[in-house]
Amino acid sequence: MSVLEMPGAGGPDVAEDSLARPRRAVDRVLAGNAWLVFAFLYLPIVVLIVYSFNDNQRVGIWTEASLRWYGEMFGNARVMDALRNSILVAIVSTAVATVLGTAAGLSMERYRYRGQRAFDGLLYLPVIIPDITMAVMLLLFFVQTFDLIFLATGIQFSRGLGTIMLAHVSFNISFVALVVRARLAGLDGALEEAAADLYANRWQAFRRVTLPLIAPGVAGGALLALTLSLDDVVIAEFVSGAGSTTLPVYVFGALRRGVTPLINAVSVLMLVGSILLVLMSLAVSRGRESSGG
Amino acid sequence: MSDVSVARSGPSGATAPEGAERAAAVALHGVTKRFPGAGKAAEPVTAVDAIDLEIADGEFFSLLGPSGCGKTTTLRMIAGFEYPTAGSIRIFGEEVGLEPPNKRPVNTVFQSYALFPHMTVADNIAFGLQMQGVDRAETTRRVAEVIDLVQLQGREARRPKQLSGGQQQRVALARALVNHPKVLLLDEPLGALDLKLRQTMQVELKQLQERVGITFVYVTHDQEEALTMSDRIAVMDGGRLLQVGTPQAIYDRPRTRFVADFIGDTNLLTGTVVDASTARLGDGSPIRIETDRAEGSTVTVAIRPEQLGLRDPDHPRDPALDAVHGRVERLTFLGNATLYDVVADNDPTLRIRVRQGNAPGIEHFTAGDAVRVRWMPSSASALDD
Repeated sequence: MSVLEMPGAGGPDVAEDSLARPRRAVDRVLAGNAWLVFAFLYLPIVVLIVYSFNDNQRVGIWTEASLRWYGEMFGNARVMDALRNSILVAIVSTAVATVLGTAAGLSMERYRYRGQRAFDGLLYLPVIIPDITMAVMLLLFFVQTFDLIFLATGIQFSRGLGTIMLAHVSFNISFVALVVRARLAGLDGALEEAAADLYANRWQAFRRVTLPLIAPGVAGGALLALTLSLDDVVIAEFVSGAGSTTLPVYVFGALRRGVTPLINAVSVLMLVGSILLVLMSLAVSRGRESSGG
Repeated sequence: MSDVSVARSGPSGATAPEGAERAAAVALHGVTKRFPGAGKAAEPVTAVDAIDLEIADGEFFSLLGPSGCGKTTTLRMIAGFEYPTAGSIRIFGEEVGLEPPNKRPVNTVFQSYALFPHMTVADNIAFGLQMQGVDRAETTRRVAEVIDLVQLQGREARRPKQLSGGQQQRVALARALVNHPKVLLLDEPLGALDLKLRQTMQVELKQLQERVGITFVYVTHDQEEALTMSDRIAVMDGGRLLQVGTPQAIYDRPRTRFVADFIGDTNLLTGTVVDASTARLGDGSPIRIETDRAEGSTVTVAIRPEQLGLRDPDHPRDPALDAVHGRVERLTFLGNATLYDVVADNDPTLRIRVRQGNAPGIEHFTAGDAVRVRWMPSSASALDD
């Protein structure tokens, strides 16, 4: 109890610290705001999930709960193709981008070379370039390059899953490099010198010392890349070809023909996938703490 | 390995004892390191400037100097983390100047210890042996042996983070020593420890070095550490070697103002040369000092405060001793000794600090007393600068 408190002045709802009393109104507003933000963020998700279990043909009209649309989703060859494409693109582009991005992060943090500062700035450009610009850029690039290759060799490449993968690799490298580099910056450079001093060659030093220590950063970068790839609609829409529709592109196309409860079910599927990825990244960062890195 | 001299080194083998004579553990000849300047048009910075140095097998050798003097860069060039801009680095006669660190028969104890945080103590120590392809049984045996040596029994399965600073230091030592390096390089290894632990470790390190018989090259900025542990010391400043010698030689016979000042407390007196064995101080007192400077030029004379004595000026002069007459300006009681600041009678700029032990029978003086400061001529050294 505060010494400032007058005897008998405080009811049961008076705060322990009388100095807090004048701020109660502010506290309520802040708490209310937190709930508002929370509702703003999560209400649409709740609505989406609830209506994905709706039996009705029309989106907004609730009839009864059923798994009808999930059944239709798994039975729909186009959805399943799109899902398979998305996963394939995500895995391949993440794998390539993780290797190249880690190498880029290493080269910038550990070595000094000519043109490094320019490379430094340019590498992060994809992070800030709007998706639509990136998409137009890549489309033009692929069209021009394939034309040139055709002129030179007579071989005609066409856009498809390969071009989506390349496009995703190109922006994911930057994100992976960013995350890996942050991790490397916190690493004592003497550790790699110690490994070399203890007779490890470059590769052994990387494999046994550097890589295990930056692994949480690499894994974090990879998960980020996976999420970004699964999420991308604009770039995939531009650089895809016939028969190479990814799931977000399919959803986007289906929406133009009107929202169906099937879209709800697909969206929930993507949501669950994203949540799983977030949980994995949390597990990775927790693993990093316990390993004492 | 063939005898490859690095570009711009002197005639190879001219100064390195080889063949019949036993090669030095570490021999540096004309070793220079220049780093590119910071700005665009900046001049390159010379961190190490044409150093010649030979370190004998089994020696505890210290590189001593203030930060930025080039001692760490010198050590890093011996380890292979930096490559010399010019000069030759030999380890037991073999040129290694351009070899990567993993091809050199030396190991390093880092200032930050640089223990691998994701490995246990035992794995940290075994790392070097595994990289060299030593078989499992031999590795286990040698790791156990070195863990005994540094008294880390029972902590094999711990992670470095779970150890105290002193224990981490021992792991770093063990991780280097387990490889039986020909030379062990230590970069201010005690810098991160508190004073008491540092003093204990100084003794332990010295004993360890005597036991294993490996050449230690020890970098430090702590003059006391260098004096107590080393067989020989090289004092560095501005990328140059100023003086190389035993702790006693460095302390008693500093050759330059910097060395005299950096190591211990000292009096720097300015005199005018009278002849090859005599100079005259500012107050006119003649002193005996060996110098090759020309008659009439100035010479700086260094004398340690504890090599000076105070006497009542009424006593008859001892002709074997040199002396200056003055007055006690200030005194500081230290317990086992007293520091007297004396100003010369005929020259107020001539100040001498005397450290007199407080043994029974020693005369005491107070501020304002007239005194005679006296010393053995052999305890004064003429400096080069």
